[in-house]
Amino acid sequence: MKMTGQITLKGRGIVEGSCKAEALVSTKPISFLGDIDPKTGKVIGKNLDIYGECITDKVLCFPHGHGSTVGSYVLYALAKNKLAPKAIVNEKADPVIVVGAVIANIPMIDKIDIGSIKTGEIVEIDAYKGIIKILEKKEV
Amino acid sequence: MYLTKEEERIYNGELGWAKQVCMKILVKLGDLFGAERLIPIGSAHVSGVSYKTLGEAPIDFLEALASANEKTMVEATLNPQSLDPEYLRKRLPKQLLERQLDILRSFEKMGFKQTYTCTPYYIRETEKNSHLAWAESSAVVYANSVLGAWTNREGGPSALAAAIIGKTPDCGMHKAVNRKPNILVQVEEAPKSEIEYGALGIFLGKVLEDKIPLIKGLKNPTAEDLKQLGAALGSAGMVNMFHYKEDETKTEGLEKFTVEPKNITETIVELSTAESPSKPDLVFVGCPHCSLSEIRKIANVVYGKKIRDNIDFWVCTSRHIKERAKGYVHKIEASGAKVITDTCAVVTWTDKLGIKTIMTNSAKTAHYAPTLNKANTILAPLEECLKTALKE
Repeated sequence: MKMTGQITLKGRGIVEGSCKAEALVSTKPISFLGDIDPKTGKVIGKNLDIYGECITDKVLCFPHGHGSTVGSYVLYALAKNKLAPKAIVNEKADPVIVVGAVIANIPMIDKIDIGSIKTGEIVEIDAYKGIIKILEKKEV
Repeated sequence: MYLTKEEERIYNGELGWAKQVCMKILVKLGDLFGAERLIPIGSAHVSGVSYKTLGEAPIDFLEALASANEKTMVEATLNPQSLDPEYLRKRLPKQLLERQLDILRSFEKMGFKQTYTCTPYYIRETEKNSHLAWAESSAVVYANSVLGAWTNREGGPSALAAAIIGKTPDCGMHKAVNRKPNILVQVEEAPKSEIEYGALGIFLGKVLEDKIPLIKGLKNPTAEDLKQLGAALGSAGMVNMFHYKEDETKTEGLEKFTVEPKNITETIVELSTAESPSKPDLVFVGCPHCSLSEIRKIANVVYGKKIRDNIDFWVCTSRHIKERAKGYVHKIEASGAKVITDTCAVVTWTDKLGIKTIMTNSAKTAHYAPTLNKANTILAPLEECLKTALKE
């Protein structure tokens, strides 16, 4: 594995905020109700490629949300339990995730090509401007 | 999105956290769907009330809102919860009741009406062309299609936010241009019973995605038939509205889709997962909640008869309708059947009551019960449901 330079991707800011953390990338949509355990922050959806990982303090990247609107409340519960992700990056924002990010106060951006981010990369989010910077690009 | 000065103050938190978070929900959703402003609503209807479907996750959020002393700004009704006041409370574990009551207390404190029904339109008529913020897909489709009111399909949290602010983003179904049919559905043979209307809805829900159909070929549907059609459309797909009046709109240039009789019969077979013949543990009528005329119809058939041993027969409706239908309710309950308010088979724990097979005249229930109730289903018209439930 070698490290290459910094990459900046421009999307759209949804919920304001900024942070720097490690990326966790799911190639599949996430239903927070059922896929994430609000008591541990662990991914419990068995069909997800990040099954068993913990989303806490990560920049969670996934294409979009789906499933029950109760999923919004799961994000709030995660935040209250201090188990929430540091930020959310989507390809296409959908109401369940947007509402969840608002009530849990999690910075969120969308219109980002998730495929260009890899799990484990350190990324910087500026959700005021809708920007994600990949600080250390991993190449396998 | 353009906000008034007052809205901006709320958005910036000058009127406290709870109002701010509700305003942010509406504004962010409005931005997402291209709304230019917020519009006042006539009422809000909130889903996500049953502890069975919600679980623990929302309890903290609801408590936080309630303890911030926020109140609803408009008439705000609640969807069914997981228990009824008389019957199921006694049969299910106490800790479930306690958690359910925690949820209800928060809603009550915020000024929500304790309606616990999926048919708020039976309690108070909506005004034609009024703007609403309703969750509960069956009520959304019914409001848009039958009542002529205008509402998006809200989620639980966005309907809650709309109730607290008294407004909703002006987008989607609130725009006349988005309410026109964009597909012509020709039904070759008119549905003959409520289960055929329901099956038509399930079939179309799966193929139409979020299109708005003009459905031709229905013959004098009753309001209850349309309720079954809409509930099924809403549960199997993302349809928010249908048109059904023959002369309503121009059909030129619309994409066409034909429903053959076999599409409906095959859907009914698919929705009945129990091996035939099998005996149901529960016969359930009232999804969506029964109207007064449905209660009357049931009362007239069951009066003077008894239901079979080892079978539960639930007729689910709202408190409001039960109160108005007292005479009929007495006739129904004299047979051993239960007229249950505030809840229904889908949002309570039928599995914890040992119910493995549910017979129903609701395609929506038949669609959900295998996953939400871990039960097999028999979909049959009301007459057949009653025949199965009653002693010879």
